[in-house]
Amino acid sequence: MSKIMTVDVLSSIKGAQPSEAVNKLFDVIKNAQPTNNNSFNNNRNNYVSLNDLRDDVVIESSALEKQIIIENFPKEKNGYLVVSKIIEE
Amino acid sequence: MNKDISCVKLIQEKLDLLRANTNNTVNSLLDTLALQLARKVDAKIANGETIGILEGIPFGIKDVYMLQGTYTTASSNLLKNYKSAYTATAIQKLLDAGAIPIVKENCDSFGHGSSSENTIFGAVKNASNPDLVGGGSSGGSAVNVAKDYTVFSIGGDTGGSVRQPAGYNHVYGLKPTYGRISRYGLMAYASSTDCVGPIAKSVEDIRMVLNVMSGKDVKDQTTYTSTEIKEESISNSKGIKTIGYFKNFIENDAIDPKVKADFLTAIEKIKAKGFEIKALDFFKSDILVSTYYTLAMAETASNLSRLDGSNYGNRIEDKNLKESYAITRSENFSEETKRRIVGGNQVLSQGFSDEIYLKGLALRDAISENFENDFNEVDIILSPVTPSAPPKIGDSLKDPHAMYLSDVYTVGFSLGQLPTLTVPQGTDTGLQITAAKNNDELVLKFANFLKDTI
Repeated sequence: MSKIMTVDVLSSIKGAQPSEAVNKLFDVIKNAQPTNNNSFNNNRNNYVSLNDLRDDVVIESSALEKQIIIENFPKEKNGYLVVSKIIEE
Repeated sequence: MNKDISCVKLIQEKLDLLRANTNNTVNSLLDTLALQLARKVDAKIANGETIGILEGIPFGIKDVYMLQGTYTTASSNLLKNYKSAYTATAIQKLLDAGAIPIVKENCDSFGHGSSSENTIFGAVKNASNPDLVGGGSSGGSAVNVAKDYTVFSIGGDTGGSVRQPAGYNHVYGLKPTYGRISRYGLMAYASSTDCVGPIAKSVEDIRMVLNVMSGKDVKDQTTYTSTEIKEESISNSKGIKTIGYFKNFIENDAIDPKVKADFLTAIEKIKAKGFEIKALDFFKSDILVSTYYTLAMAETASNLSRLDGSNYGNRIEDKNLKESYAITRSENFSEETKRRIVGGNQVLSQGFSDEIYLKGLALRDAISENFENDFNEVDIILSPVTPSAPPKIGDSLKDPHAMYLSDVYTVGFSLGQLPTLTVPQGTDTGLQITAAKNNDELVLKFANFLKDTI
């Protein structure tokens, strides 16, 4: 698919346009000369060891948690939670 | 604990102060829950039961943390009626230690701001001068502590959001090492720098609250196991020999002359106590700010994409699902939040990602490497918190780029994931004390030393 997506579509924000304040920040990055050009030999060590993964189990929510999740749902009709109409393009 | 006053009375006093306050620090009061917990504390004390380390202490929570059954709005229209279904790990640990949450605190919407003006609850007013901003994004939290409405508050720091308002309101505010405290239940802004951070009036309070909240959590797999920081281990400055500061933070046109002079005076006082002082080279200010904002916007565009009014939030219906998403987000996000989401999607999109996003990541690595090298030379890095005094309410909203630049001293330490504490000393907006990763203890140790030195 070669369709060009504009930032308003990517952001799901009607009429959104890039801003000058933010573009000024990006210009600095474009013109910067990183001393270290390899972004993957980094020392960010926020990975998780395979031995340390959390258990792959389903955790049942409490009754209160379920009730609040339902309360937060924006629309309800005749006991059903209502979503917007979905169309296929 | 002072037994002359009951817990219920103490909590009621604080609730009354918060209710009457004119600084716009409150998004919602947790009066029913707080008084119920206070009655339990009084009963426990009456029965001679063992009490927790923070038993009965009233605290505030920035309105981006989940606390089951309470409103968690992120100061936004989108979530103004959203109720937490569960409780954040950090907050649960405080509850388990007996602390009593009394207020959800005003802040910049989704943490997007440095002044706490980007909020549907009205701009937070500075604790010392109500014409000035409270700082941000954890402005309500810092003002509540400064005004003694809460004993401590829990803010969130992504690029300075605990340290800067702490500085603006003359209190202590800590951004711990990234991963020391679980982010589970903190609404994500930029996940790779988001930190839970306590704000309080003393180093000792910061230490106690930090200890309670720290620790590995399976629900946030970036957390690590840390050891408790003991009171006696931070009581003197033993082991700290060399203090560094960044030359270019001080030698530039953006810094207020008074902040500069006060900072250099503080350095001289520390030197006079026998510490070696080293002036260090660092990245240019505009590179630091731009790197931080580029990465933070990319992350927030991704994190906030879930907010579409589908399962929760203030949904606005339109002709189909996609249009409903778009109208819901357009109408409910603030201008600043939209600016950041759009910026984030710009840098992540094809054609821009190599030129900006990947380059931003490379710059971040270079910044981290710079820090690692620095901490081979010095034990502590000292810096101002902000280049100037808090702006007047209204000024930051007029010039977002200037607001981004005002974060120049805080964002670098976020990118480096380093422990950094604001202390209310040295300059009008305080000083930042930074140590190497996982060395939060050293930061508190030096803060105790500074307390008696400058």
